[in-house]
Amino acid sequence: MPILSPWYDFRDLGNAAARLADALRDIDAPEGVVYALVGLLGAVGVLLFVGLTTLVNIWVERRLIGRMQVRRGPNRLGPFGLLQPVADAIKLMQKEALTPRLADGLVFTLAPVVIFIPAILAFAVLPWGEKMVLADLNVGVLYLLALGSTNSLIVFMAGYASNNKYALLGAMRVIAMLISYEIPGVLSLLAVVAFTGTMSLSGIVDFQANYWSWLLFFQPLALVIFLLGSTVELNRSPADIAEAESEIIAGYHIEYSGMKWGLFYAVELVNSIAISAVIASLFLGGWWTFGLEEFVPGWLIFIGKIYACYFLLIWFRGTLPRFRVDQLMAFAWKFLLPMALVNILLVALEITVWEEFDLSAGAVLPVFAVVNFALAGALVAGWARVMAAQFERFPRRARLVPDIDVPLPAEGGGHAARAAV
Amino acid sequence: MVIGFWALAGLTVGAAAMIIVVRNLLHAVLFLILSFVGIAGVYITLSADFVAVVQVLVYAGAIAVLMIFAVMLTPLSARDNAENVLQLPALVLSGLVITGVTFVALETDWRLAGRGEFDSTAEAIGEALVSPFVLPFEIASVLLVAAMIGAIVLVRED
Amino acid sequence: MPISTEPLVVNIGPQHPSTHGVFRMRVTLDGERITDAEMIIGYLHRSMEKLAEERTWTQNIPFTDRMDYLAAMTGNLSYCLAVEKLAGIEVPERAQYLRVIFAELQRIASHAMANGTFVNDCGAWQTPLFYMFREREKILDLFEMTCGARLTTNYMRIGGVAFDLPDEFMPGLRALLDELPDRIGEYEQLLMDNEILLMRGRDVGVLSPETAINASMSGPMLRGSGVAWDIRKADPYCVYDRMEFEIPVGHNGDCYDRFTVRMEEVRQSVRIIEQAVPQLPPGSHCADVPLNLRPPEGEVYSRIESPKGEIGFYLVSDGGPHPYRWHVRSPSLINLSALREMVVGQTVADAIVTLGSIDINVGEVDR
Repeated sequence: MPILSPWYDFRDLGNAAARLADALRDIDAPEGVVYALVGLLGAVGVLLFVGLTTLVNIWVERRLIGRMQVRRGPNRLGPFGLLQPVADAIKLMQKEALTPRLADGLVFTLAPVVIFIPAILAFAVLPWGEKMVLADLNVGVLYLLALGSTNSLIVFMAGYASNNKYALLGAMRVIAMLISYEIPGVLSLLAVVAFTGTMSLSGIVDFQANYWSWLLFFQPLALVIFLLGSTVELNRSPADIAEAESEIIAGYHIEYSGMKWGLFYAVELVNSIAISAVIASLFLGGWWTFGLEEFVPGWLIFIGKIYACYFLLIWFRGTLPRFRVDQLMAFAWKFLLPMALVNILLVALEITVWEEFDLSAGAVLPVFAVVNFALAGALVAGWARVMAAQFERFPRRARLVPDIDVPLPAEGGGHAARAAV
Repeated sequence: MVIGFWALAGLTVGAAAMIIVVRNLLHAVLFLILSFVGIAGVYITLSADFVAVVQVLVYAGAIAVLMIFAVMLTPLSARDNAENVLQLPALVLSGLVITGVTFVALETDWRLAGRGEFDSTAEAIGEALVSPFVLPFEIASVLLVAAMIGAIVLVRED
Repeated sequence: MPISTEPLVVNIGPQHPSTHGVFRMRVTLDGERITDAEMIIGYLHRSMEKLAEERTWTQNIPFTDRMDYLAAMTGNLSYCLAVEKLAGIEVPERAQYLRVIFAELQRIASHAMANGTFVNDCGAWQTPLFYMFREREKILDLFEMTCGARLTTNYMRIGGVAFDLPDEFMPGLRALLDELPDRIGEYEQLLMDNEILLMRGRDVGVLSPETAINASMSGPMLRGSGVAWDIRKADPYCVYDRMEFEIPVGHNGDCYDRFTVRMEEVRQSVRIIEQAVPQLPPGSHCADVPLNLRPPEGEVYSRIESPKGEIGFYLVSDGGPHPYRWHVRSPSLINLSALREMVVGQTVADAIVTLGSIDINVGEVDR
């Protein structure tokens, strides 16, 4: 691909990388070395982002949740509490990471390390700019789903290795939950892939750039289903059964302390950012924003969108109470799955209409947008009403009665005398 | 390229060997997962990106969980992967099989195809599934639905 | 194909993540369902009833603070009414109005805590709790302004109240009463129309009206099951017979109904205070009661409607300065008696929610 802009054009850091590759090829470096060096550069960049974002997110989450709870978040350490994540990290590192004696030592220590791997791998396929993709896989979307599905295994590893009856029960429950929510997620992403015709994330962003709109306008239902499914996959409120069922049956990381637990906590944050990034690139246009990326670097816009989605996730956490486990399963199988299937049906219909009759995009896409939005609204509202009918048997407010309607005990029985006025 | 293949092959075969060596049955399942991931890597060296990702998604994501649940349902006493009488005959038999397969592999006159252009495997597989192979595809789907319904019927508490 | 299973005994408590105190519940689980629940209390027993026999009648008033420490005013009030009934003391009218105002303020504070922790048990990460604590903080500020303490107020005296209102009280109260209806509307919109809360609370911990009456329930537990019974109307004390208010009653007897009943009671409390404030007569705030009070020989049982239920005092006097017998009918203990019935057949998560909706205070349960 020819370089259209000089290497110092920071609106797209891929320019610098391509320039470096060319320079290396000019001195006749073998192809493998060029590939490895450029890849290393990208990987270092991604890891830098992941590390920084973990630190920043701890601060962002705590301050935002504090604000939602009518209080300030941490504000003692550093201005506005900005050094709080550093303090947290230091505290966790100097804590003794206990390993129970009868726990499965190797698996116990390995679980928090291994759980980081899918989280970081997810960042490899994200398009940060027009030429800034670390690994432009043809099957990017499927790759992300595969990484998500390995999470359930590692959760089980952690729960089993703790040698704790309750950790194991919690882990089994979480596995059932994660597996159930993979299906609506896959189906919603299937709709996106069918609509855009490509599975690679940069391809989907290019589709949105080509047709000059965000996929959010065409696939609102897919966005809703994927967002809700991901909230559960991330073990966040309103589905944080894994960690907050610690009221009774402990979560899978109850026996972890010190930096091992710190890794689980960090992974939750990194996963949240990864999912926010996926939502941002699939539905919100990634680095493309109606031409704004001519002036503002695309990756900065992308990071902004990531944090907008992350704000949404924090908002869910601060506001909503928790589901019960069986209600959560019912939500996946009876609510999200039928809607995802209807969505796919509709998308297939639309794509067929578009291709068969060879219509122009400008005529057909606004119609699709309107139809999809109407259907999304109708489905979500209607199906929710149907599902919630059993909870609506009684009114939602208490009934006001002017006076007591229970007969008083007979006067003179006992000492129930009236108080002296 | 060749380094990649040998490393992945070593990982896969090593993990597979550890499955039968290790004592704890759950450790054996974990090594099985590792071998699945190794196979996914081998698929990638063959440029079959779709199959590799589906291997991770289906095998390491779902079938491994199935096996873990199966192992968890066995009583603790039966979870020992310990020595038993059949180890020597099994070793002999597998030795014979390996020798046979290696001999056949080395003696066959493989016709090496060039690297050549390949189109996006996902598209190719998708086309194949709905045009020439649509009937097996649909039959497999019906089979899966039957399995799901059977599972639900089995666990219903009535 | 039968697989043999055995029941699992899980201990919930006494160290509770929920803020109900040191309460222990042993549940026997069959898979996910609870088959049996046993409650073990006594972790906070401080033998107040015995200690009270060594102290004079006035010296026992601080004990009533510390029993239900989240509703100290009503505890004080119940005890003072009982002693006044025993000794035949007449309370000045200003004191009665002040008692009503403070009892209703305490009801608002206690229900804010109860509902906040209920939603906390349902899983909302303390967000509604912090919101409801805004009002509770203002009420506790008013208490501190008047009697010097936020929680263990020790404000009621035998024959009246301890202190008259300071000058800053009325403006503060006025500000609070002006913003409370909006706040309650906000909570209703945020919480009561929340589907997740509805799903967690509906049909959970159902208590039928017959069981409620048979188990001597009182307070929001009884009213949540549909029985319209309020001691402020049935057996009026102080000046409640001059106040106009309504009794909120639930439909199904589940946790959600009790939640809505408590929310509505806050509204009715605001209504009562709004009526009491303009009617506040001048006068003395306490009758002239001798320091060494010796009520005549006899016994008395007197009860009021505390935020948790019917709190009653059974006092026996032998003519001396110390009580001969000092017994508390604590609503939390009596309300707990139906816990087993409510909890059996549900999952553990529901048991926690049910326990939260009973709104116990372990200080009162164990005394």
